Amino acid sequence: MSSAFDASEFLAGYLVEAEEHLSASTTNLLAVEASLRKGENNPRAVRELFRSLHTIKGLSAMVGVEPIVDIAHAMETVLRLADRAAGALTAPAVDALLSGLRAIGERVRALSAKAPVMPAPPQLLDALAALEIARSPEAPTRELELEPELLAKLSPAEKAQIVQGAEAGRRALRVDFTPSPARAAEGINITTVRERINAMAEIVKVLPLSMPASDAAPGGLTFALLILTDAADEQLAGAAATTPAQIRELQTRRTALAAPLAEEPPTAEEDLGETEGRKRGIVRVDVARLDDALERLSALVITRFRLERAVDALAAQGVNVGELGDIVKGYGRQVRDLRGAIMRARMVPVSELLDRVPLIVRGLSRATNKPVRVEIDAGQAELDKAVAERIFPAIVHLIRNAVDHAIEPPAERKRLGKPEEGLVRVTCFERSTTQLELCITDDGRGIDREAAARRAGRPVPEDDAALLDLITLPGLTTLDQATKTSGRGLGMDIVKRAAVDQLGGALSLRTKRGAGTTFTLLVPLTITIVDAFSFVCGEQTFVAPVAAIEEIVDVVPGGLVRGPSRHTRFGEVQFMERRGEIVPLVSLSSVFSLASRGDPKALVVRRNGTPFAFAIHRVVGQQEVVIRPLEDPLVKVTGVSGSTDLGDGRPTLVLDLVALSSAISHNRAEVSL
Amino acid sequence: MTEILVVDDSKVMREMIVACLRVEEDFAFTHAASGLEAIEKLALKPFDLVVLDLNMPDIGGFEVIEFIRGQDQLQSLPILVVTTRGDEGSRARALGAGASQFMTKPFAPDAILANVRSMLRRDAAGSDE
Repeated sequence: MSSAFDASEFLAGYLVEAEEHLSASTTNLLAVEASLRKGENNPRAVRELFRSLHTIKGLSAMVGVEPIVDIAHAMETVLRLADRAAGALTAPAVDALLSGLRAIGERVRALSAKAPVMPAPPQLLDALAALEIARSPEAPTRELELEPELLAKLSPAEKAQIVQGAEAGRRALRVDFTPSPARAAEGINITTVRERINAMAEIVKVLPLSMPASDAAPGGLTFALLILTDAADEQLAGAAATTPAQIRELQTRRTALAAPLAEEPPTAEEDLGETEGRKRGIVRVDVARLDDALERLSALVITRFRLERAVDALAAQGVNVGELGDIVKGYGRQVRDLRGAIMRARMVPVSELLDRVPLIVRGLSRATNKPVRVEIDAGQAELDKAVAERIFPAIVHLIRNAVDHAIEPPAERKRLGKPEEGLVRVTCFERSTTQLELCITDDGRGIDREAAARRAGRPVPEDDAALLDLITLPGLTTLDQATKTSGRGLGMDIVKRAAVDQLGGALSLRTKRGAGTTFTLLVPLTITIVDAFSFVCGEQTFVAPVAAIEEIVDVVPGGLVRGPSRHTRFGEVQFMERRGEIVPLVSLSSVFSLASRGDPKALVVRRNGTPFAFAIHRVVGQQEVVIRPLEDPLVKVTGVSGSTDLGDGRPTLVLDLVALSSAISHNRAEVSL
Repeated sequence: MTEILVVDDSKVMREMIVACLRVEEDFAFTHAASGLEAIEKLALKPFDLVVLDLNMPDIGGFEVIEFIRGQDQLQSLPILVVTTRGDEGSRARALGAGASQFMTKPFAPDAILANVRSMLRRDAAGSDE
């Protein structure tokens, strides 16, 4: 053999690529199912699925994994038919394809573990072969107007995709990119342009067009990107290294066959009215544009602070600021209204966020052989898109834990007198105008405190709050054996990091042996601009989000409870009596090593359901603040979530008092008395 | 040097193809991870042979072949299609569009090397005429 080829050399690369394609396929199949629920096809996701499976099939053939070749081939046949029917797939087909992905995944993992690879399951191949792909697509009511040579290169599904996108109110555009050696040297090529455009648009098709070579097009080539987007021409032109003038709108026109023959064709006015009517009420806006609006609003909020300060300074000099003061107050109200309007535009229904949960539970239920019912009550709650994106992985993690760890196998449930089918409930409601409460509940076995403590090598936690502290320790897993769906070293610390550390929210736990567990996530509805209290401590001003503070109380020396004196590296912990409850109290001045001027007030926060108080010198007031994250790891400190500008031009630290109380509590446990 | 453009969206597959062909010391390889990338590279630099997959994102191998054969200066560029699509329809379509040779995955290392060598010899003979 003359070549240096040895298939086993490529096994590691094969496993990585196979996992990537499986992951992309799962995402695409979920997208198909989500579209199906809305009664729509998703031709793009079907095409991507087909491509991934085709690649898996080719690679598997090269490394000689015939069972995967067989499964991928059977799935590919289904998807090819679906592609010809403009992406039409039925619910049973989605089910069978999900089984196929799972079967391939199991074999890839077996290969990875050097275990024997099972043959393709005949019942799966039969089920895939027996699928009937739905009807051919309905004829579109509009058709695309494009130069004939370009139109000829588009498939019916691609034409339909452009027409449907345009009908849904998105802009259908042609953006040209002309490659050249100079641009390639700068790293601007069709791959980078495609990636940049893809970040702001849905690319339907990229067509290469040849032309006579010239200075402008030395390669005699231009790529025409046909896209659907809400982005501005300037942004697109920047991404494609072209000018806005080079961007062309793609036109559609009503097809002759669209109107039933027996009816009169609609008049121009009716036609317009119908189109406008369909579009009315929904405008899709790129999140980047909303971020931009928020950024500009942030500048207005800071300007308001500066105006207020200037008016105060004039008043202090004895100037009559009556009318000016009224104008500034009115301006403040307008900025607040504008903030409300922009924030509302950023909100997404939580029900949409939780759309994928039933499928996730179904997949887990099958993987673990535990029948599990899922109940979701998202009500009318809405959440900032940025918060939704950050919190979703934590929700998925809690659901995985519930099905995999908490819910008992059916035989065990029967023995315990429980229904064989387990239950996972996801509920949420807006707890205030600034916070959303999300609960994930299961009716499983509850968390075994002793086992968790044993595993962590720590004392047995005395209550649910201490148990939560224990199970959110980085790297801890409470399951003795890694399972198929979880237990791969990713623990509850991920949930805590998302909800508490990244979003400044709270996480709490309620568990009862044999009866089940509820995790409650309290997250802010929005981030960036929040209502906050500003207060003075030592000589320094701080702010903390209103949502995190339960109460502001007076510290009455007589109300302090004498008890065992506890010192931590954050200073002395005292105890305060509040409505019959003992609350730990720490002076913020000592936490930040500031000179104390006497701390007669206290901010009470609640962590894992238990209160904790921070003594401060004086509350300045309540106002909107724009939180700027602290990116540099050198200035990232526990308890400080960002900085803000209160209009005096100096940065003011935004405190995360819940995280700070958590750090102090951990520290307290570690110091000797 | 003989410049060969290897086009496949799978990095592992490109590496496998290169591993089969690298016994020839004067072969130099350029990778393209998509049909679009392949077309751009072909427009900006001359190549002696293209090894091409059919199933790729955005623009498939058939479209790449059609584009190549639509260019005067690339009329005689040898194109070896290496694909998982082993059906007769695909073979006929690829050859009809202008592919020089058609192989299916999995391919034998010796077979792909022999094919490439013979295509380059044929090309050299053709250009001598």
